[in-house]
Amino acid sequence: MTTTPTMTAPHRVPRPGEGRPEPGRRRAGDTVFRWLTTGSAASIIAILAGVTVFLIVTALPALTADWRTAPALAGGTTGGVGSFWRYVAPLLWGTAWSSLLALILGTPVALGIALYVSHYAPRPLRRGLGYLIDLLAAVPSVVFGLWGIFVLRPAILPLQDWLNHNLSWIPLFAGPVSKTGSTMLAAAIILAVMIIPIISSIAREIFAQTPRLHEEAALALGATRWEMIRLAVLPQARRGIVSATLLGLGRALGETMAVALILSPSLLFSVKILTDTANPQTVAANLALNFPESTPLQRDALIATGLVLFIISFAVNALGRLVAGRAETGRRKRGAA
Amino acid sequence: MRLTMMPGAVGAVTLATALALTGCSAGAGAAGGAGTQAAHSTGDTAATTSTLGGTITAGGSSAQANAQAAWTAAFQAQAHGVTINYDKSQGSGGGVVNWLNGSYDFAGTDAGLTPAQQKQSQSMCGAGGALNLPVYLSGVAVVYHLPGVTLRLTSATVAKIFTKKITRWNDPAIAADNPGQKLPDESITVVSRSDASGTTANFTNYLHQVQPKLWPYPASTTWPVKGTSGQQGGSGVVGTVLSGKGTIGYADHSSIGQAASAAIQVGSGSTFVGYSPRGATRAFDTAARPAPQTSGDLFTDIDYTKITSANAYPIPLLSYDVVCTRLASPAQAKLTAAYLSFVASDTGQKVAAKNAGSAPLPASIQRQIAHSLASVK
Repeated sequence: MTTTPTMTAPHRVPRPGEGRPEPGRRRAGDTVFRWLTTGSAASIIAILAGVTVFLIVTALPALTADWRTAPALAGGTTGGVGSFWRYVAPLLWGTAWSSLLALILGTPVALGIALYVSHYAPRPLRRGLGYLIDLLAAVPSVVFGLWGIFVLRPAILPLQDWLNHNLSWIPLFAGPVSKTGSTMLAAAIILAVMIIPIISSIAREIFAQTPRLHEEAALALGATRWEMIRLAVLPQARRGIVSATLLGLGRALGETMAVALILSPSLLFSVKILTDTANPQTVAANLALNFPESTPLQRDALIATGLVLFIISFAVNALGRLVAGRAETGRRKRGAA
Repeated sequence: MRLTMMPGAVGAVTLATALALTGCSAGAGAAGGAGTQAAHSTGDTAATTSTLGGTITAGGSSAQANAQAAWTAAFQAQAHGVTINYDKSQGSGGGVVNWLNGSYDFAGTDAGLTPAQQKQSQSMCGAGGALNLPVYLSGVAVVYHLPGVTLRLTSATVAKIFTKKITRWNDPAIAADNPGQKLPDESITVVSRSDASGTTANFTNYLHQVQPKLWPYPASTTWPVKGTSGQQGGSGVVGTVLSGKGTIGYADHSSIGQAASAAIQVGSGSTFVGYSPRGATRAFDTAARPAPQTSGDLFTDIDYTKITSANAYPIPLLSYDVVCTRLASPAQAKLTAAYLSFVASDTGQKVAAKNAGSAPLPASIQRQIAHSLASVK
């Protein structure tokens, strides 16, 4: 189990300095290595702080500008938008909506994969499947985007027509249905494929941690394999699943290229998923699409939308971490009791 | 994916992106493999360029990208010591911003400098200001996917289709433009650019000039009409038009590949003209209205309403290279001027026409650019 250092060991991790054979002496290599690791850790904080400061400083002119009168904001992507919040709100909705759809589509599949690998697959298959899933995480998002354009988009056209024909009374499936396939549904499917490896590889590790005794006890009581999973595996993994899902959500929130390539975007609020005429745009894709042709102040405005996304992603990730941490301490407490 | 690796992975991704971007700009110069074959015909400039050395850093308009790659390859075949990096990922707006920061020797832009930018450039270029040089001429093609139909469209019909006033292919207005054609009873899917683009600016400028009532939106780099299918990049538009049914869109003609493009009405008569490089050159000849911002500047307004000849394509697309009249060093000025002179020369224009599908500039403009470049010091 390699998920976090704190999750790794059932036994106590020795503190630095503990267990050294001769307390008075230090090898040079130890000192060097210690400073190297300290430096690496510090650089992360420095980079994060640097990014935050950059975002805030660059975003300020756009946040303080008067969006109704500033000539630099009159045309192009920010044209006719009354204020920064009116600009960023539909983008945030688009980001949240596409990510939510991706989670709904992706999480069950990801958990299914994880359960199969940890509890159903024959031992020789497990390792191979695990590698395959991790490989999926390494596919660049632009490749997913191109696959979406050339394969997925034409492939889901009949499904979209069918959904619209039979279920158009649900606002989700309202028309006019797209003939190009550049729909929110296509974007959500791509995002789902992209978050599956993240969720399933974390969930896999968590499922594999189920105490062997609990599983055997459930089986000994006459539980079927599914009942054993329901009784022994899922309860102890609940928080782990939540945190895996939140990390997947973080990935979906920030995804840029695949969405930019597939979605036909507008600056509006909508829940339709089968149309290419009324899809809310996401923050990241909007930034990528409009940055090159923008005036300096518009660039600041786009960076300001990035700042908002940064804060939200940060919060989601932090929440995921928090839940994961609590899952860990909860499990240890139960284990100790 | 390990939890503990997440922050580190973010750093690594940032670094990788930075490397990839550097790789891109460096690769742009070498990308014009096709350009080298045309380079053999450029022997006349060899004597003057072979002694040159150094690096030209530039970027901007992606419409010019293929032409710049061809020009770079052809120029470097003569001047072996010269490296030219044209970064198309910046787009027109980004190119001008970087150029105003002093990062570029010249910028490629579909819009030219605004008066404010021209004024701003004087702090860098000196009192002589900057020159807008129209170096790339092509046409905006109206592409469609309608098997078995050869489409002709009046400017009014184009405006109505792209504002979504006409929604079906068998609309009487389209039928009136295409007597004898069998138009399907299908809805029209309008495909536009989802990213900001100079092609959109040229196309909306055309529509606003020739059909101000039907097309009330002023020229804009972002697509103004809601409810179209937005796609990234010219290739995204063309690809989506080709893969959809009953689709119509617009793109720089040099990037449409196998897609069918409509013949467009010239003036208000019943003449329809399909795109040809010669037609674009002819259109530029009749519609160009010089609007210099500084002495020697060649900024050109295009008056689309003046394009009425049956030999002229009604939607020409013009893109500029913008350069200071005074560069950081005389050597850099000499190098940049030599490259841009080649770009605007008859040879350079033919190289671009052959490899990037652009239209050669009229000879008179070529001479004017050469004259203006003489003042770059």
